[in-house]
Amino acid sequence: MKNSLFYRIFGTYIIITLIAMVVVGVYATRQIKDTMMERIEGELTSYAGILSRGFSKSEIQDTLKAVSDLSNARITLIDAGGTVIADSEEEASRMDNHLNRPEIQEARIRNTGRAVRFSTTLEIDTLYIAFPIRKMGDIQGYIRLARPLVEIRQSVRDITLLVLQSFLIVGALSLLIAFIFTSRLVSPIQEMERFTRRLQDGEEPGTLIIGSTDETGRLARNINYLVRELKEKIRSADEEKGKLEAVFSSMEDGILVLDTQGRIEGMNTAVQRIFGLNPEEMIGKALMEILRKIPLHQALNQFKETGGPLSREIVLENGDLMVIDVTISAVQGLPPQQEKTMIVLRDITRIKKLERIRADFVANVTHEIKTPLAAILGYIETLREGAIEEKETAGNFLKTIQKHAERLNRLVDDLLVISNAELGEMRFSFESVSLDGVIENVLTAIEPGASKKGIHIESNMPEDLPSIRGDRDRLHQIVLNILDNAVKFTSDGGTISIRGVERDDGMVAVMISDTGIGIPHGEISRLGERFYRVDKTRSRELGGTGLGLSIVKHLMAAHNGRMEIESQVGRGTTVSLIFPVFHENSIA
Amino acid sequence: MEEKTHTSMQYERELQDIKENLLYEGALVEHAIHRAMGSLLERDSDLARAVIAEDEKINALDEKIESACIRLLALRQPAARDLRFLTTTIKVNGHLERMGDLAVNIANRALELNEVPPVKPYIDLPRMADLTREMVRESLDALVREDRDLAVAVREKDEIVDNLNEQIFRELLTFMLEDSKTIHRALLITQISKSLERISDHAEGIAKMVIYMITGKIVRHRDPGEAI
Repeated sequence: MKNSLFYRIFGTYIIITLIAMVVVGVYATRQIKDTMMERIEGELTSYAGILSRGFSKSEIQDTLKAVSDLSNARITLIDAGGTVIADSEEEASRMDNHLNRPEIQEARIRNTGRAVRFSTTLEIDTLYIAFPIRKMGDIQGYIRLARPLVEIRQSVRDITLLVLQSFLIVGALSLLIAFIFTSRLVSPIQEMERFTRRLQDGEEPGTLIIGSTDETGRLARNINYLVRELKEKIRSADEEKGKLEAVFSSMEDGILVLDTQGRIEGMNTAVQRIFGLNPEEMIGKALMEILRKIPLHQALNQFKETGGPLSREIVLENGDLMVIDVTISAVQGLPPQQEKTMIVLRDITRIKKLERIRADFVANVTHEIKTPLAAILGYIETLREGAIEEKETAGNFLKTIQKHAERLNRLVDDLLVISNAELGEMRFSFESVSLDGVIENVLTAIEPGASKKGIHIESNMPEDLPSIRGDRDRLHQIVLNILDNAVKFTSDGGTISIRGVERDDGMVAVMISDTGIGIPHGEISRLGERFYRVDKTRSRELGGTGLGLSIVKHLMAAHNGRMEIESQVGRGTTVSLIFPVFHENSIA
Repeated sequence: MEEKTHTSMQYERELQDIKENLLYEGALVEHAIHRAMGSLLERDSDLARAVIAEDEKINALDEKIESACIRLLALRQPAARDLRFLTTTIKVNGHLERMGDLAVNIANRALELNEVPPVKPYIDLPRMADLTREMVRESLDALVREDRDLAVAVREKDEIVDNLNEQIFRELLTFMLEDSKTIHRALLITQISKSLERISDHAEGIAKMVIYMITGKIVRHRDPGEAI
């Protein structure tokens, strides 16, 4: 109700006025009635008293008439038996016996009688006063005066009318006052109501201005204060939340929070990355709906039973294989019936891969060293068992032993290079180097082996190829390793071509292509790994250590360059060595 | 009034439990297929025995889900979407249980094969197993997410699996023709391949149901406020 306050105040006024008027009316009426009654009664009593003294019989009718006119009362003369002897207004003979009338009875006993009765003839309350007429102490008759209480009725009517009139006036006045009062009281309250509603709707409410200094004014000031406080609280809460969210979402680890029902309640962005799902697809779902991994659910069940934090490794297969370390724990600091579960997902794919590479490396090194050692030991034993006596065999055996020992030596050298490169302890002496010269040097070393296999090498290095910043010996090693591989894996009569180009992006590229056996597409990315060989037996037969390309990769990185390999099985391989061009000021 | 909300909450909870149990069964089946194939490829008989023993779990879950579904159907007389969900669940449950049995088949054949030297390195079989497992996972994902496209993709994969099955059989046939000593082993491998093929058929069955369920839903899309 829009103006409920107005109606309430107005209603209260009206009720109070009404009660006051009714009370006043009732009291006033009674008071006036009593007073008038007393006065009339006294008057009538005096007349009755006078009349009861007696009067001559002959003048009865006239006396009664005269007194009746004076007193405004009807006067009846009754004998001792109750028979009406005379009446001021009616024919006495037509009236009944009056002895049983209460006022007569009272007068007979107490010497004076009084009664108020509703007169049916006049249809109005009538006061009767009776006196006995005595002669020598005996009652001869009664004189009765009756007076209709017209004045009293009139007065009561007047008063009621007056009360009603004043009630109407006061009512109208209170309507006015209530209207003024409520509008003064209500308008600031309405203003505050509008203000707080704007606040609820999230609008910027501004400041509440109420002019008055009474309670509403103070209330308005308090509201303003609360709004300011609230804004400040919200702002600082937002800020805190923002900070936490920033930390939460920039975390590398995925974090999932499950509610008491085991449904996903919240997560950070890392989770989306790990599962490849949108939050809308995950929030509110049971974990089982998202990820059906037995180890994970076993861990979750175990966690529910024990309540203690625990972790598991699970493998995901959306696209690439992913190894995830899952840690489940309870969210701390919540009341027991609102317990939440936190799941931390850490992507350990890379770590797992590195672990495998390291394990492989140890296994490989052992294997690589053991193979030539076994051969050496075998030949030495054969020699000791007598082969040393046969000069020709012994010579051959020693040559083989030397070959294996040299392989071991190369292996150890390569390992040293790699280990130094990885530890960053390799010393480089950088200078401006022309790749042309490096390749020429390598070619003189490679040529004998190549021509033995009938491999044709064509070199096409432009004269004006820019120099690069490099370490001459290391560059030699890089090119040697690549060309050595090319010769090894190219069958007899094949071709190796070397081409140098200056590229638009400020790099110099040396492309070494062969017509060799090629490398399967899937293997190319693994070529830089230590001891990784596409065809293990074949490579080892050819005297490779399995570290060549790994060394090239490291050395290229040290030159700020990179190696790219393209290959087609059966067609050949192209290895591109890409270096940044040398600038004068780039030597420190 | 409060009593009613309480019961309806419990009903929702029971539906959710059924759903989670069904998915857990699916996870167990996927796990079983993975490990059964692992026991074959790694020649690990202990793993094969573990797979056979753990089929108990799948069977127990199968019974639990079915009785829970029937109980809800009888007591609550669900309508519309819940009814469709429960009937679909009963069917999917049946498919999953059969898949579990087929995984046990594979494990049994692996046990036999591990006792004899290998015929040849496995190339197509692991691919087939991976595809099959993907189909199982994706069919359940499609069910959970009500993803029609995913369900269609599952059905397409079934064809690849069927082709691989035939290819494996043809290849093994040449081995058998060349050397009759390989016949027993080749037949065992054929049975494994056949089991995988049948698992993928079951996955396709689930996918078909998902498509039906979703298209059925489009017609009755005017059921607001209901959640699976």
